[in-house]
Order: sequence, then C-alpha cells, then structure tokens
Amino acid sequence: MSSEDDSEEFSEELSATGAASSGPPEISFYGGKWMSAFPLAFFVVWAIVQSGVLRIGDTTGLVAGMLIALILGMLFAKGSWKNYANTIFEGMTRRVAATAVVAWLWAGMFAETIQVGGFVDGLVWAADAAGIGASVFPAATFILAALLATGIGTGYGTTVAFTTLFFPAGILIGANPVLLFGAILSGAVFGDNLAPVSDTTIVSAVTQDSDIGGVVASRFKYAVLAAVIAFVGYLVAGASMQGFDVAGQEDLLAAASEPAGLLHLLSMLVVIGTAVAGRHIIEAISWGIIVAFIFNVVFGLASVSDMVVFNAPENLDIAQSLAVLPFVELVDAGSTGVGGSFYSGAQGFFPLIVLVLLIVAGAQIMIRGGGFQAIQDWLLESVATTVRRAEITMVFGTALVNAMITINTAAEIAIGPYIARLGERFNINGYRRANILDANTAALGYIFPWSGGVLVGFAVIQDLPEQYDWFTQAMVVNPADVVLYVFHGWVLVIVFLLAALTGFGLEYTSDRESEEVERL
Amino acid sequence: MSLLDKYTKGWSFRTNKPSFSEGDEIAVFVTGMEDGTPIARIGDSKLRLPDAPAGLVDKRVLLRVTSFDDNNHLGEAEYVETVGESAF
Repeated sequence: MSSEDDSEEFSEELSATGAASSGPPEISFYGGKWMSAFPLAFFVVWAIVQSGVLRIGDTTGLVAGMLIALILGMLFAKGSWKNYANTIFEGMTRRVAATAVVAWLWAGMFAETIQVGGFVDGLVWAADAAGIGASVFPAATFILAALLATGIGTGYGTTVAFTTLFFPAGILIGANPVLLFGAILSGAVFGDNLAPVSDTTIVSAVTQDSDIGGVVASRFKYAVLAAVIAFVGYLVAGASMQGFDVAGQEDLLAAASEPAGLLHLLSMLVVIGTAVAGRHIIEAISWGIIVAFIFNVVFGLASVSDMVVFNAPENLDIAQSLAVLPFVELVDAGSTGVGGSFYSGAQGFFPLIVLVLLIVAGAQIMIRGGGFQAIQDWLLESVATTVRRAEITMVFGTALVNAMITINTAAEIAIGPYIARLGERFNINGYRRANILDANTAALGYIFPWSGGVLVGFAVIQDLPEQYDWFTQAMVVNPADVVLYVFHGWVLVIVFLLAALTGFGLEYTSDRESEEVERL
Repeated sequence: MSLLDKYTKGWSFRTNKPSFSEGDEIAVFVTGMEDGTPIARIGDSKLRLPDAPAGLVDKRVLLRVTSFDDNNHLGEAEYVETVGESAF
C-alpha cells in the first residue's frame, strides 16, 4: 500500500471516529449531557480510593472499576441502550487504543529481552567500576536509570529494576534512601518522556497526529535542559543529605555486575536510531528485538530458552524427542507452559491493555453524549482565550487528569483529545502539543504519592526488610516522603510552564509539518 | 529536514503574534467563524478567509496570504485547498 493510500485511510478513520465532537449528542442521558461523563468520573473516584486512599497498585482492580463504571453509566442512558453499547465498541476500536496496545506489546518484548540479556547488570558494572561514593551515588543512579528507561521505554520496569538492586546497593554505600528513590523515579520520568519506545511517547504522538521520530527530536531540548538541572540537584543534595551507616555488610553491586550486558546499549541505539530516522515504530522495535536476540545468543548473555521456551511435560514421548531443540524444555506435568522474555514481556501489559481499551470506550461515551463538547467550549470561551493561556491550560489540565487517573498512559489518552482541540484552535504545532502532553504526564505519573510509578517502586522497597537482614524499616521510603525529591519530574513541569509563559520552543502548524504521520 | 535540524529546531522564543507576508502559502487549521467569515487563528494573530467555502472549521487548509497588518496582527488570505483533518 502506498503512503498516499495509508494517509487517506488514516484521515477517513479520524473523521469517522474522532470528529464527532462537533456534531449533536447522539446519546441522551437522564440528568443532561454532563451525565455522559459519569463512567469516567466514577472510574476516577474508584482510582482515587484504590490507589490514593488504600494504596493498592493493582491494574486489574482498575479494570474492574472501569467495567462497573460502564455498566452503571448505561443505567442513565435514555431510550434504547443499543447506542450506548455500540459506542463502547466504537471507542475500543479507535486508532489511539490500538496504538497503545501495539506499543506495549512490542516494547514489552524488547524491554524484557534486553533485561534477560543482563542490561541492568551492565549498568551495575558501570556504577561499580566507577567506584562511586555515597554523595555522588544518587546523581549516578539518575543517569543510569534514565539510560535504562530510554532503552526499554518503560519507567515502571525501570523503577522495579532499580529499586530491587540499586536502591539497597546505594544504601549500603551510605546514600540517602529518599534521595535515591527520587533519583530512580527521575530516571523513569526521563525515559518515559523521551524514549521512542515509551508508551506515553507513542500515545502523545498519535493523539496529536505527529510522527514519533519528530516528536522525540523536538522534545530533546526540554528533556536535556531539565536533566542537567536535575543532575546538579542530585549532586548538591547528595552532598548534604546523610544516609545510614551500614557499610561493610555486603557488596551487592559487585555480585550483580556483568560488563557484557552493556552491549545492549547498541540494541537500544538501533531502536532509537531507526525510530528517529522515520521508520515505523513496529519496524524500529522489531529491529531492536532481533539485534538483542542475536547479541544474547552470540555473546552468551542469555539462552534461547530465556527468550522463548516451550515447557513440555517430561512424560510425553514427542516432547522428549523435541527436547534437543533449544526452545523446548522438559518439566513436571503440572508446570507446563510457554515462557521466556517475549512471552512475559508481552504478558506484563495485558491488564493495562484491557484498562486502556475500556477508558477509551468511556471517553467515547462522553464524546457522543456531549460532555466533551461542553468542557471544550467552556475552556475555549472562558479559560484558553490566548495562545499563552491555552498552553498553560494544557499544562495544568494534563496535571489535573494525571492526579486523578493514576496510570499515566491512561491519563494521557483521556486528556489527549482536549490537548489536540485546544492546540489546533491556536494552530499550535502537533510536536509542541505532544511535548506538553507527554512531559507533564511522564513527570506527574512519578510524583504524586498515589501514582502507579511511585507505587510499583514502593511495593519493592516494602519487601526489602524481609530480603536483607541489615535493611531496617527506617530505610523504607514512603510515597509521600519522596514527592519533593523527584527533581527531573518537577524541573520538567517547571520548564514547560516557563515555555508556555515565554513561548520557548513554541511552533505553529505553519512553521513545519509532521512527517508522514501514517508511520506513527 | 535533516536529523540535526530535527533536534536543533525550536531552540528559541516564539512570538505569540506571528507575522505573514503577502504571497505566503501556509497550511493551517481553520479555527472558527467571526461575523460569518471563516478565521484561521495562528497564535494570537488572525487571518480572515472571506472567499472560503463553508464547513471548514477544524479542517487543515492550504492558504495564500493576500494581506497582513503587523500592527493589529490581522490579515486576509485566500483558500487554496483542504489538506488535512483535525487530530481529533
């Protein structure tokens, strides 16, 4: 199919799915058009209770909340419920939903494959070889976590990997735990914001009709400015904030150090290079997966069965014959299954995929019920009356939605249409809109104490006292304690607020066009 | 655009009231109607499109600027063709 055909199909799809906001409401609700916001509003309350009040970071729990919200919302729809039901289908088949699904599946496989190949061990080796002391350790952790997050595109995965190993290792060296956790979350923010394989990067680009390579290149200036300031911040704070005296217990870093893992820096560069050069994101990540697979096998970083394996029953004759193959292993009849990094990398995102499909369905109900139009009109008539005010509205609007919807990609999908429409009404370039949307989403998803990013790290830290004898409860960092120390997140938000106020980095649609959007 | 240009573009402070010259051809969104005339608002500058067909709001169109007053940041342009849709 030619790129022209692709482009035409894409435009048709957009007009068929998204442009409905300007037409009359197609679903009427008891209580008026504002009731069309009920499913999303109910979900937000559920998310606040689950994640904020009860501190339960369970994505499938949020799926249950959104399902109940969609059922309850239907009770308020007037007349036949057929329209309401069809709108759920319409929302779930929208391109933005499919984009998030694709991003997660491909990026999940890539992330897991370079992790089984010892990429984190390579970063550990770098930290260990550099002989970093307590005061510099948080700043170094920020850089290394940022590197991992930029490579694997998932800040959550980075947070888990680093709180598991770098966090206790840093405390042993004498670094301050709160600062360390903040540095890890900062690295996660950096990667979530800048990596071309990051789900939030991809969703920010597609909701603003922009290509991913161009989006990454255009946001580089904001990310680097913020990172330099954050790095200096960690150096200064590291020198003044004391840690615990547990030296001499053990050397966690040396035990987990493996320099060959750094080969996956090349796998990472393949993905970043091909994405920025304008290749389709599926193609870019697929190349990264192929290169990572070859490196793992050729250099002995991981076996084929670490990446894909059939665990077949050992009492089955055919399985015994096939066990010579590198991807067939014999196990007890009760523990059969498929495994490996491709399997677990994709599987890890299944609950999130279902959640996002349901949230997009809820958003579509709000569009068809007139709630979206009502909020858009109010914003354009009363709040976003100049281009500067429109951009500030985008910054605060994104912040507000992220405070309520604690999974940052889901929040981004919910606010994306508003950013698109507000920005287009001032002809703000798609790259700039995507950058405002993603920077605040990436940052605040690791700042608010109830956000998914903070909770996944907290879950790991909570278990450390059971894992290490020397790790006391006093070393556990509560989510509320770390808020102020996610330096890169805060600086990124401030950079964008200043950019909105001063016009730094502002571009209009007439200044340049996004390249071949159909490539994503 | 070269790879270097992609990274270096936008390292500057952009005015909220951009200027245009007669003859400029630009692709922008039609952002609304004022007194029955379609308007393309770019930042806080406005281009009126007196001869444009109806139903263009939130469509991306190619325009040719016919006049622009730098003092009140207001100009006129003629509609050339529709080149795209809203991202939403």
